[in-house]
Amino acid sequence: MYALSTVVMNHRDWVSSFYPETVPFVTESELTRRISFPEEASPAEQGRLVLQALNMEGAFSARRTEEGKLVILRNHPVHPRRITYETESGHLQVEQQPFEAPRFLERMHRRRGFQQDYLLEDVWALSVDLVILTMVVWAFSGAWMWWELKTTRLWGISCLVFGFGLFAFFLLTI
Amino acid sequence: MANRKVPHLKFNLIVRRTHLYLGIFLLPWFLMYSISSLPFSHRSYLDAYYDDGTPLWVSRWEGNYYIPLDTETDHRKIGAQVMQEFDLEGSFGTYQPAPDQLAIYIYDFWNATQVRYFHDEKRLVIQDRRFRWDHFLTGMHARGGFQQASFLADLWAVIVDIVCVAMMTWVASGLYMWWQLKSVRRSGALVILSGTLSFVLFLFLL
Repeated sequence: MYALSTVVMNHRDWVSSFYPETVPFVTESELTRRISFPEEASPAEQGRLVLQALNMEGAFSARRTEEGKLVILRNHPVHPRRITYETESGHLQVEQQPFEAPRFLERMHRRRGFQQDYLLEDVWALSVDLVILTMVVWAFSGAWMWWELKTTRLWGISCLVFGFGLFAFFLLTI
Repeated sequence: MANRKVPHLKFNLIVRRTHLYLGIFLLPWFLMYSISSLPFSHRSYLDAYYDDGTPLWVSRWEGNYYIPLDTETDHRKIGAQVMQEFDLEGSFGTYQPAPDQLAIYIYDFWNATQVRYFHDEKRLVIQDRRFRWDHFLTGMHARGGFQQASFLADLWAVIVDIVCVAMMTWVASGLYMWWQLKSVRRSGALVILSGTLSFVLFLFLL
């Protein structure tokens, strides 16, 4: 997933050319529901209550528009949704982002951190940390296993020197 | 009998050596991408660590300026002109934080400068970002793409592609080498199955 999504991000213009008619969101349902918020509740707290009422809990961000509408972006990995709630009328609009593989991959790549109040999100963030730790372990265990193979030392050292040399060159030039 | 085994052994050797030398050559990138993922994952912790009163952005220049900001404006072209005029060097990107604003973000691995243009006030502000190790790492991690007019920036993007191909090669060659070890086939299959299952579960439950 991380390798494929990086290819997508590295060639964003080219990949986007395969999706000329991208639609941000498509209306899924519209309904009226009165949801009461505690006084002085922040948009995030209100968003959480709306998602609870819709049985759509999970990672999200929420904001109030200038017109007073509450806009919630529910960051589902496969089907992200935008929910717009008009507090006074109770009108709710639920829109879904059509599935597109590049957007899905990029979303998965960027999903991390412990900022959401959901246990599952923290477990995902923990798995991301585990991937990081594993990559470091692979790097060092791989280097150690290479060193044990005496026949590959010379070519290995050449690759190592060339790799680190090129990396250092980039650090100093771009 | 021995002759019939040769092609198989040769293929084994090619797989093993490709796995090995790609890994050694790309070791700096592999380490960089793994270590630089930590600041992304623990941003709030690092923001708190660097919260020492030093401002993130320090003003370098501020004054009256005019950019014809309309729908016809080529933002990259304007960005290049402003950079030339103020002697700013590096890769850059442009975006509009608001309809009446234009931002130019100029960067290399070590430094970052932002230029903000406020069309209503006809005012330009140039600010330099303080150095932070987490920004250094995340900047390197996020760097890629072929939109810069620089051969070396394109070369870096090519290396990013090679790293991606290498990662997929490691996965495929790793699986191949695992399959050769009959004693760990069952436990390996169990691990692959549980890993794939967890990933699919995350897709539906998150």
